[in-house]
Amino acid sequence: MNRRYAIRTAFIFSAGVTLLPSCLQKDTTIAVPLNNIVVNSDQQKMLAQLAATIIPTTKFIGAAEVKAHEFTLMMVDDCYSPEKQKLFTEGLQQFAKLVSTKYGKAFADCSNEQKTAWLTAIENKKDIPDEVVQFYQTTKQHTLQAFTSSKQYMVDVRKYNMVPGPGFKGCVPLKNKVA
Amino acid sequence: MGDTKNTFDAIVIGSGMSGGWAAKELCEKGLKTLVLERGRDVKHIKDYPTTTMFPWEFKHRGQVPYAIAKDNPIITKCYAFKEDAMHFFVKDKEHPYVQEKPFDWIRGYQVGGKSIMWARQTQRWSDFDFEGPARDGFAVDWPIRYKDIAPWYSYVEKFAGISGNKDGLDTLPDGEFLPAWDLTCIETYFKEAVAKNFKDRHVIYGRCAHLSKPATVHIEQGRGQCQARNLCQRGCPFGGYFNANSTTIPWAQKTGNLTLRTHAIVHSIIYDEAKGKATGVRIIDANTKQSTDYFADIIFVNAGAVNTNLILLNSTSKRFPNGLGNDNGLLGKYFAFHNYRARISASFDGLQDSITEGGRPTNAYIPRFRNVYKQETDFLRGYAVTFSGYHTSSTDTSGFGENLKNNLMADAKLGNWRVGSQCMGETIPKVTNYVSLDKTKKDEWGIPQLNFSVEYDDNDEKMIKDFIEQVTDMFVKAGFTDIKATDSKQAPGLDIHEMGGVRMGKDPKTSLLNEWNQLHECKNVFVTDGACMTSTSTQNPSLTYMAFTARAANHAVELLKKKEI
Repeated sequence: MNRRYAIRTAFIFSAGVTLLPSCLQKDTTIAVPLNNIVVNSDQQKMLAQLAATIIPTTKFIGAAEVKAHEFTLMMVDDCYSPEKQKLFTEGLQQFAKLVSTKYGKAFADCSNEQKTAWLTAIENKKDIPDEVVQFYQTTKQHTLQAFTSSKQYMVDVRKYNMVPGPGFKGCVPLKNKVA
Repeated sequence: MGDTKNTFDAIVIGSGMSGGWAAKELCEKGLKTLVLERGRDVKHIKDYPTTTMFPWEFKHRGQVPYAIAKDNPIITKCYAFKEDAMHFFVKDKEHPYVQEKPFDWIRGYQVGGKSIMWARQTQRWSDFDFEGPARDGFAVDWPIRYKDIAPWYSYVEKFAGISGNKDGLDTLPDGEFLPAWDLTCIETYFKEAVAKNFKDRHVIYGRCAHLSKPATVHIEQGRGQCQARNLCQRGCPFGGYFNANSTTIPWAQKTGNLTLRTHAIVHSIIYDEAKGKATGVRIIDANTKQSTDYFADIIFVNAGAVNTNLILLNSTSKRFPNGLGNDNGLLGKYFAFHNYRARISASFDGLQDSITEGGRPTNAYIPRFRNVYKQETDFLRGYAVTFSGYHTSSTDTSGFGENLKNNLMADAKLGNWRVGSQCMGETIPKVTNYVSLDKTKKDEWGIPQLNFSVEYDDNDEKMIKDFIEQVTDMFVKAGFTDIKATDSKQAPGLDIHEMGGVRMGKDPKTSLLNEWNQLHECKNVFVTDGACMTSTSTQNPSLTYMAFTARAANHAVELLKKKEI
């Protein structure tokens, strides 16, 4: 195949994808593949919104960029006992239901103020069922984990260095610390 | 004898901590040496698949997935069985065993064995340890004393590379040390607090098998300076710590005298009645299940303490119906381990304006101070105490949204220091603590399964109580607060310091091995791994296995030259 033609075709194809209307893109969202738990794509979308509310994107990346909701689902799917998985999915359903009852719409469609009010109520455990609080805490825990163990966070914010090297100093005054 | 391609000068069973040393010594002395390893080959660096992986590259960020943990309740208990190193550990179903009493058997079946994942602490024994059984009336007297093994400690330390300080303590003889890393603020503080309050207790730097400053021999091995990554269990791309894969095995290979046969599960040692000695080793290929016999003049058994017992027990003949060299019926008995059950943690709110910078691969260590010069408690022997501490730093993770994000992006806040100690107690070998062959159950290679009947005793319980009292007292005197002691109640074995069953001694009636680690009743078979230990002391045992192995291998070569075996 003519190489130049191939490159041009690839460009047109990728440009075509980006030009698709967003509503069409939404419908073709591929859900995270799961082996043990059942979480449908609407619920996954809700989880993504929840994670992004917990750690929003600012000037620095947030939960969305590190795909914290996918990480959360993968961890629950791979590392939790069936009992704990059940607790998680039931909490998730309950969370969605309560939001829908309270605000008349899905969590993803709520305004930022509504999302904030709802999460504040959960944080304060105010008339919130235990399983919803637990679902929220599990999601928050793994969202934090996904964010704080991401390359960007560890390297840019925490200056992670896998190879400290031989220059260990057992005890130095704090004020002399080289940032 | 069998066909020549299966005939060697020496056979070494096992390629780990001690087997690697046997291979190195024998090959260097010109013996054509066959090393039998039941697992796969693990080449230094090349076969450390996770060694340069970043934390974010681990799918589960280090956690063991539920399905694996559920299928492997025993190995999952091991502190190092995590996503980054679990490929080096034997899964529960790969080689089943019988637990008449609970025993966590932690294994690594590959070239290098557990030397890949070991904790790398290397403290010498002293005569307080070697004279222990005779003085306190347990087990049998060791057939050697410190002076017999001291030169061999030096020999292996120089080659392996040990970082340490010369502390001048009777209880923990000094060795051939590469420079030590600094003590931390909290270690120095605790050392001084302990010294002020207790004349006979010493907080020192834990000597460790790391190249703080490589010497010529280490460069020759192709190893480099330790970079303090503290990811050692994955295998080190710098060769910064000692394992068989980076050090002894390649050194043996360089001589051209080594043949390494992997996937070779030893069935038994072949005994020739007419010759009155062992003539070879029968193996079963792990994959094909095919049986093959190999022959040699001398055999070193370094299969790891437990499997060495298993092999000898399964090496039956008309002359030795109960296992090779087992005329006295003591093979498998007097099996012992280290008491690791007790831990203490605490906080310290001093030294607020001090921190440590960088990394270091060891912690502090307090050599045994109980019952050293005379019996002073209602239990025998004593314990070493590990000590570690770090300045905590924390990030506020409460709430959500931009507040949380801002807190995550801010510098971590320094808090109190946290400190912790663990007990490494000497257990008393007893005839009632033993390993034996199960009468009916076999593994998939047709070899009997091993049965464990090993448990703690009253002496261990008293020792745990004393450890908690004494370390609490030291912590209180140092001004530590929030002191919490825990007894993990963990089963024997999880210490991964299994020892004995083929003990050394002076008298063939009461021991299996002589002062050169030869079976009394079959002198061309040498046992120099943990199985040979007469008592357990309070030091991490690997360095002593290395020294015993080098010493015995050199003696074996002398005997061969004189045609005495």
